[in-house]
Amino acid sequence: MANIPIWTGTSTFTAGQTPFGFYDLDFDFSTDADKVATFVTRRLGYPLMDVELQDINIYAAFEEAVTTYGNELYAYKVRENYLYTEGNSTSTTANNKLISPHMGATVRISQQYGEEAGVGGNVKFHTGSIDLTTGQQYYNLDDFASQENVDDYDLEIKRVYYESPPAVTRFFDPYAGSGTGMINMLDQFGFGQFSPAINFLLMPVSFDMQRIQAIEFNDQVRKSQYSFNIVGNELQIFPIPDGSVSKLFLTYIKKSDRNNPYISPDGEGVITDVSKVPYENPQYALINSIGRKWIFDYCLAICKEMLGYIRGKYQVVPIPNADTTLNHSDLITAATAEKTALIERLRAYFEETSREKLLERKNLEADAINKDLGYSPYVIYIG
Amino acid sequence: MALFGRDRDISLFRSINTELLRDVITQQCAYYKFRLDETKVNIYGESSGVKYYNDPVLMNCLINRSDQEFTTSDFGVDHNQNVEFYFYKPFLEEEKLVCEPGDIIQYYEDYFEVHDIVENQLFVGKDPSFPYNVNPWNPGLEDFGQTTSIICKTFYVPADKVQITLERG
Repeated sequence: MANIPIWTGTSTFTAGQTPFGFYDLDFDFSTDADKVATFVTRRLGYPLMDVELQDINIYAAFEEAVTTYGNELYAYKVRENYLYTEGNSTSTTANNKLISPHMGATVRISQQYGEEAGVGGNVKFHTGSIDLTTGQQYYNLDDFASQENVDDYDLEIKRVYYESPPAVTRFFDPYAGSGTGMINMLDQFGFGQFSPAINFLLMPVSFDMQRIQAIEFNDQVRKSQYSFNIVGNELQIFPIPDGSVSKLFLTYIKKSDRNNPYISPDGEGVITDVSKVPYENPQYALINSIGRKWIFDYCLAICKEMLGYIRGKYQVVPIPNADTTLNHSDLITAATAEKTALIERLRAYFEETSREKLLERKNLEADAINKDLGYSPYVIYIG
Repeated sequence: MALFGRDRDISLFRSINTELLRDVITQQCAYYKFRLDETKVNIYGESSGVKYYNDPVLMNCLINRSDQEFTTSDFGVDHNQNVEFYFYKPFLEEEKLVCEPGDIIQYYEDYFEVHDIVENQLFVGKDPSFPYNVNPWNPGLEDFGQTTSIICKTFYVPADKVQITLERG
């Protein structure tokens, strides 16, 4: 018949007695392990009452408590700084590193707006052309897609280069000119000051702008202006080609390029999700007394829960000519509540030290100091 | 093979019973084992002359006492009391003690003679002494179950009738 020993009142921790061995070689951990065993068993009633646990159960709980502490701590750090760590290399551990905010992620996630405006982003803009036929106003974009080797549903036209020549090229058009432009032209060429017969007249830029606008308005009102219209897969252009232009250039994107959310860098060595932020288990020796006290309490709660499950495997324990019910339900209820309370307390504590909260507090402090200083009488300088 | 009631669980029960009976409740009695081989018997199998017992063994157990009864007859007033002693069997095994009718149990100043033995408290209904190992479908049953208790039903025996004295063996 097996005779399984229970807690004897003393223990001697040696490396290898914890399930994972994360902290076995940490001197502080190995020193505290036996103290924690004494603390836990005494809190559970030993030596007045037996505690049906072994030292290795308590060591396992101790290791779990430290790991849980580190897990909560680093999960908080990951949440706090993920914007600044995403996309970086996983090769460097994040433990014991100061993390400085930067604009990289903000720029990256706002590139989509520039992308739609055609001034940035990750979507490539392609160019292509359509051969214009004299007198043909409608052109099938499906044909253009096949010509460009793009699926027709994947094509999105971003720009049609079917425009009138810039008005500035007709700045000195006799039709639109007033004569004063000649002076400006000679001046532009640097001949103005060499001509004794020319008067120099400084004109504001608004004069040039109004002149250009006058030319454009003239074309719009009095001529068939260059324009286009896309409905479905048909491109309609104005005016009807008269043979003076042989090609129509287009800029387009592939929708699949835009819909593709995956960008570089990628791969196993890049932080692409919170599970890859390179935090390792904490170094027990570096955890301060506040953290260690939390670990001891959490270890006690785990042991209490463990003892509850041990005592509760059988609802009643046989004793001579009777049965007895142990306190397993009390233990489990208390342990569950304590674990939850400890976790919530720790999370609240971490949240209070978040960058957001610290800045808020600093702001409140500054306001309060400012207000406080306001109660001091102002010095009156008499000059 | 069974799943519940393995010797590892039984070991836990033993720890709990040990704590409960020896440290918490702590009811005790002295058990005098009757030595049948030393005792001379007559042709009817009754003892003739003195009875011999082993040295007493101090046992922790649960004790269920009925009230004392005093009956009056032509011979005077008689005193009766029935007491049941609930022993945790592993304790008896530690002392290599087998309870049988005729044994004497001393409880405080009184002596009680065992007249009935009940052994019928099997955890998960199994007695590991009977594993039925020839049964190929359920091997290893010697590691499961437990006979938890031995109940000794006794009656009061006057001390002058028992007259237990220390004898040099």
